[in-house]
Amino acid sequence: MQMLPYNVQCVRNGSEEYYPETSGKKSIQKKRYGRIRGDMARFPKKLSSAWDGVKNFSRFVLSIVRSFRSIKYLRFRSLYSIVVNQTRFTGVDALPIIVSIALLLGATVIIQATKNFPKFGIEGFIGNLLVIIIARELGPLATAMIVVSRSGSAIAAEIATQQQNREILSLELMGVDTKLYIVFPRIIASIIAIFSLIIIFDIIAFFGGYLISLTTVFIPAKSFVQTLLDAFSFSDLAITILKSVIYGILIPLICCYYGFMPRSNFQIPIFVSRAVVRTLVILFVINAFISALFYF
Amino acid sequence: MKFEKNELRVAVFILIPLVILLMFVTLKLGYSLASSTIDVYLKIDSLTSIKEGTQVKVKGYTIGRVIDIKPVYKPALHFLAVMRIKKDIEIYEDCSAIIQNQNIIGDPVIEIRNTEKKGELLADHSVVEGIEYVNLEAILQDVHALLTTLTSTVNVIRDISIESKGNLRTLVANLSNSVATINGILSSSQKDILAILASFRETAKTMNEISEELKKHPVKFLFKK
Repeated sequence: MQMLPYNVQCVRNGSEEYYPETSGKKSIQKKRYGRIRGDMARFPKKLSSAWDGVKNFSRFVLSIVRSFRSIKYLRFRSLYSIVVNQTRFTGVDALPIIVSIALLLGATVIIQATKNFPKFGIEGFIGNLLVIIIARELGPLATAMIVVSRSGSAIAAEIATQQQNREILSLELMGVDTKLYIVFPRIIASIIAIFSLIIIFDIIAFFGGYLISLTTVFIPAKSFVQTLLDAFSFSDLAITILKSVIYGILIPLICCYYGFMPRSNFQIPIFVSRAVVRTLVILFVINAFISALFYF
Repeated sequence: MKFEKNELRVAVFILIPLVILLMFVTLKLGYSLASSTIDVYLKIDSLTSIKEGTQVKVKGYTIGRVIDIKPVYKPALHFLAVMRIKKDIEIYEDCSAIIQNQNIIGDPVIEIRNTEKKGELLADHSVVEGIEYVNLEAILQDVHALLTTLTSTVNVIRDISIESKGNLRTLVANLSNSVATINGILSSSQKDILAILASFRETAKTMNEISEELKKHPVKFLFKK
């Protein structure tokens, strides 16, 4: 290895960092100092690369918006079949996992509530708690997380593989607007699937919660439903729809963006992982933002 | 038009949540597929008065009756009386249900009382807390118990007064003795008091004489040897 000034000697190779061999306590201190200096030196670079990423993503979104001009050249049937297949994969195939997670989550919330609510004499507010925790927050978030981990990763991997196999190139050679053909149906399918999944998730979670609540407090089913109806307002419904639309747009958009990024087969897993992690982070940020905007 | 299996599955997947959503909106807007009555649960602790058929009234006007009573075991034993009441009467969520007698020995009736402040209308399958009616028999029993206690208290006071009668007599005798002693002291000291008073008069006369002498010959009085 060529000897460079110490702060430049930190050479990044994948995820590992290598330092030139030195000996003694002084060298360890030097290493630490060098690492800190290296991190500090890299910070502006990271910031600028993040800014570049935002700019690239904006260009990607803009290119999709612009590609709507060529929608008249696409056959409805071809888009329709993609939407149906994607909805089936994102929504229908995710039902078993959504149902099981919703049941468990609803039950968990109610177990905690039935254990602690009687201490405060508010055991009659179980329905309200379900609406506040599950319908407003956990339902949309858990559904989006499941969709990202199942379908988001699949979308990124599928597009990356198609690109490496030059299938996307061949589509472009045939004159098909690939951005529109690939991204747009996935957004539509994702919105439909997430919206339906959120509602199913909420209903199943309420049901699970109700079943668990029966073990400690008897609430007539009709009365429970009435409490839920009272607690769930139209604004809650509007926010749920808004969340499903925002998640439905963002998840395929970010995953498609990272799907188009790999330049070799080796980069596919890296970008798939990046797509999932970054989509999740953005979802949490947006969820917090929406909650703060409407409920704070 | 023939649908593929995928299309049917997706259609069902989309339609079920939409139907649920539509039902929610319909119910939330206050529409109902039910008849002109609504069923409201009345939560009560004991079944001393209410039975199936008990009338539900608002300001004396019958608006429905109890159609069923269900025991509830959790968290503690209580009962839910299902009241089927007319929907066209405006009853609000914050109303109170008082279980009372129609007259002194009449049948119990559930009197619904609206609050002065108008709120949300009482919805189907809502739960209203029942306020137990005033049980006449229980009141009579309580009054009887109270009278018994009062009688025993009066008896105790009477016993105490009889026991203390002797003590009171002794006290009065002692008091009369004390008065007699004081009288004796006063009568024995009467002569001495007269003598003291006469002495005071004599002293007063002497003091007058001195003062007159002092007025007439003040210098002589001073240098008199």
